[in-house]
Amino acid sequence: MSYNLLFQKIQKWFIRQSLEHAKRTIFISISLTLLVGYGMRFLIIDDDLMKMLPKNLDSRKSWESIQQEFGSTESIYIAFGNKSKSVFNKKDLETSWDLVKKLRKLKSVDNIINLSTITRIDNVDGFLEIKQLQGEAVLNKNQIESIQDYLNKNLKTKKQLVSRNESFLLTIVNPNTLSGLNYFRDDVVGVCSEVLVDYEIHYSGTAYITGSIPQLIRKDVKFLIQIGLVIMISILLINLRNIAAVLMILMVIIFSLTFMIGSMGWLFRFTGSDKFLFALLNTSMPIILLTIANSDGVHVITKYFKEIRFLKEPKKALVKTMETLHLPIFLTSITTIGAFSTMAFSPLEPLVGYGICISLGIVWAWVLSSVTLPALIILQKWDVESKGLRTVSLFEVLIDRLSNTVLKYPKNMLISGLFIIFISFVGVWSLKVDVNLSSFFKPGSEIRESMDFMDQEMTGTMDLRIRLEADMKDPSILKKVDTLQQFIEKNELITVTNSISDAVKQMHRIVMDDSLVYETIPNEKEKINNLFSMYSLSGTIENFSTLVNEEYSSGLITSFSQVMSTNQVFSFIEKISFYISSKFDNNISIDITGMIVVIRDMVILIIKSSIMSILLSLLFVILVASLFFKRFIWGLLAVLPLSGAVLLNFGLMGHFGITLNHITAILSSIIIGVGIDFAIHFIAQYRMFQKNNVKKNLTRKTFKETGYPILLDAASNMGFGALLFSSFIPVQFIGGLMVLAMISTSFGTLIILASLMQIIKKYILTN
Amino acid sequence: MVFLKTISFIFVSSFIVAQNGHEIALNIYTKQFPDDLTNTMNMKLVNSKNKIRNYTMKSRSIDKNRKQIIWFLEPKSDMGISFLKIEHKNRDDEMKMWLPAFKKIRRISSRKKGDSFMGSDLSYEDLSTRDMEDYLFNLKEDQNLNGKIYYTLESIPKKKLNSFYNSHVSLVDKITFNIVKEYSYDLNGKLLKEKEYTYKKIKMFDTLEYIKVFNVQKKHSTQIKFTNIEVNKNISEDSFSEQNLKRIPAN
Repeated sequence: MSYNLLFQKIQKWFIRQSLEHAKRTIFISISLTLLVGYGMRFLIIDDDLMKMLPKNLDSRKSWESIQQEFGSTESIYIAFGNKSKSVFNKKDLETSWDLVKKLRKLKSVDNIINLSTITRIDNVDGFLEIKQLQGEAVLNKNQIESIQDYLNKNLKTKKQLVSRNESFLLTIVNPNTLSGLNYFRDDVVGVCSEVLVDYEIHYSGTAYITGSIPQLIRKDVKFLIQIGLVIMISILLINLRNIAAVLMILMVIIFSLTFMIGSMGWLFRFTGSDKFLFALLNTSMPIILLTIANSDGVHVITKYFKEIRFLKEPKKALVKTMETLHLPIFLTSITTIGAFSTMAFSPLEPLVGYGICISLGIVWAWVLSSVTLPALIILQKWDVESKGLRTVSLFEVLIDRLSNTVLKYPKNMLISGLFIIFISFVGVWSLKVDVNLSSFFKPGSEIRESMDFMDQEMTGTMDLRIRLEADMKDPSILKKVDTLQQFIEKNELITVTNSISDAVKQMHRIVMDDSLVYETIPNEKEKINNLFSMYSLSGTIENFSTLVNEEYSSGLITSFSQVMSTNQVFSFIEKISFYISSKFDNNISIDITGMIVVIRDMVILIIKSSIMSILLSLLFVILVASLFFKRFIWGLLAVLPLSGAVLLNFGLMGHFGITLNHITAILSSIIIGVGIDFAIHFIAQYRMFQKNNVKKNLTRKTFKETGYPILLDAASNMGFGALLFSSFIPVQFIGGLMVLAMISTSFGTLIILASLMQIIKKYILTN
Repeated sequence: MVFLKTISFIFVSSFIVAQNGHEIALNIYTKQFPDDLTNTMNMKLVNSKNKIRNYTMKSRSIDKNRKQIIWFLEPKSDMGISFLKIEHKNRDDEMKMWLPAFKKIRRISSRKKGDSFMGSDLSYEDLSTRDMEDYLFNLKEDQNLNGKIYYTLESIPKKKLNSFYNSHVSLVDKITFNIVKEYSYDLNGKLLKEKEYTYKKIKMFDTLEYIKVFNVQKKHSTQIKFTNIEVNKNISEDSFSEQNLKRIPAN
């Protein structure tokens, strides 16, 4: 059986289900939607940047081994104080003590570092003293001065815990477990709001941002869907002028959304994979599916209205509508799924889940538009004399005028279109890739302000971790670590570095009667052994647990920096890698990780992912269109408008300084997935006329037939504009660019594709 | 004969049952202790990844361990390091250390009781001698351990002690009043450590032969085996001086 016959059989079966078993079809659709939608309760919102990286990536593996060996490096940084006042006073230090006391009671908290938890090593009258820097809650003047003196002597410690102008104190809190950072964040913020009533508070750190994002995402998605729906409903109501029709399209949209989110929950429930976590980049998913589901619905309803206007008989009109639209709706769905499925090959974990889940949503939108929507249409009693059905809409008038212009001057129109694309595409050379979290939040927003504060006043929160597998009691290794730290500190954005070498140098100085001459790494291993033994008897050796493992067989160098641009990140890591390979023996295993390296790796993965996604989805669309329309030329023509839109998009991103990141990287898939629909509807209609032996004014007739639904589809897809109201800057960019992409793909179809088909019509028709 | 045995069993049992927490504690704390104690300690630390570190130390103490001197024998890297501790009732304890590589004695400050000894699961509070007046005692329901019934004594540190524990629940042998097992709870009331003790009778004293501490929260354990145990060797108070830190005694 040829696939044509098979397709016709399926089409007939679909139409029969809608016409003869309308109620049963609707009932089954509702039941299945509810069943899959129930999976929503298993959906987890998590935007941990590290979970986005492939599990076998070196920086992720190193990061995981560091978490296991040296404890969590994901922290919440709390800075509190008053801008005009020094924190070295009785009240502020007592508050700092109280804060630790209350935070310790939280089950979600593992480790706390601030002035009241760290130890000091002193030489007092020739005797070694290791004790808490702040020994008690309430301090007298002398004790406060002593703390100040100690910090001025140990500037690395001061830099980490006191702000530059001494008006803020920093507390670093690590979570017990990396899952549920949002609960950890809420716990910590709850305690701080209670204890730090009289202070200005700033929060930062990956644990804080990752913990805050789920709440922001929840708010954002809810808000965006509402705005998206309002925009869409308004445009549909203005054009369709029929409430029942708009409600039917809405049903398709809501059911598809429920199905998609539910399936994401179920997939997470059954696989436990990070791919199915709902991250920041998934925020655009509902709006995108909303527009895709809307497209299918709009095409069915507008075609039905057009048919009923002439045939006057609902059943006949519906059969005609579905006979015409089954193939294009199927093709647009399958090509859109194809474009999004390419994300499944993305090296970035959430993009895989994004691709799979949105594809499931599209499948369901296709089923609903092909079977359930016709069933609803047939149950509805339509007033053929109503204004919506009887008269043409504004868009239909517009389309009529546009078709006249395009088909009158096809060459001029084609050249103008291509010229616009070319001018825009030049911007690609200025396109920058940047995945820095701080650029995701609007200037002036709470998170952005706190991050800026941490950069300007404290050490910054971008970290670089270097893990060495070597004998960490060996003086030659410790000396190399020390010089590596000095090399890192040469970068002016690096605020502080620390390692076990610093501790050894400090202990050496103290044992040698606090003489600065001895703030060095001793030359003899025995001395280093003695220093560690002395510390383990006199201090808590656990204080070193973030610097060296229990066996002293591996150590960690931690550096903090202010925000670095992507270019700075690349050059900085390159320099460090070169330094390490030239100064350290090959037999010493050294891993580099931390936020700075993650940013570099994300950038590489995003570029790979974007290029792969564009090429694979274009190839898929060409193949599917060529196969179903039985000629390669149709495949090429189908991708023409959207290729133009992709070039236009990336070019404009470059012109307007919009950076490519893991959130905007999905744009190409969205443009191809959503934009292909217009070209397919256009070509499908053209071929149908061709098949029915319509010889005269083929392009004009196709334009008139498909122009209106394409324009209405694109206009109602202005729901993407809802993304402009997102709290996240990259999502706003997606919104703006998608509005542009809808205009470029729809007009690309109606101008570039139509004019080209008009120009090469002889070739198309004769071959 | 059977009748007499039964009567005496009932008598002893009723006597045992009649004791309250304070009386049990009194029996524990007033147990006879040798004047001095010498031993070799083999300390084995096992972390959550099952990695092992071993230490061997020689120890001498008097006055219920209130004065103690420890010489490190192994690992080789620590050989020669020694440590002198003198506990004081009303002032900070004295602690001194000999660092052979620097040829220097360094006094180390009085430490937080909760800090661990040499990275082990024993804190300085675990190692210091408990004074009965610092605790409140509650007798709980008897517990069965390996088929034997033990008193269950709860010890709650008084506020003035500034303990790092909320409470200890000890299983106490009904005849010898030795603590064979103890559960220690942190200040949040969560189980922190499980400790097991084994004793050896030397002369008339029940001396510790083996301690196992398992830190439930960190999944880290410490085992200490005491060998070459000797008691009442007439060790003088003068032995606990800086001078003696510098050389490891031959026996």
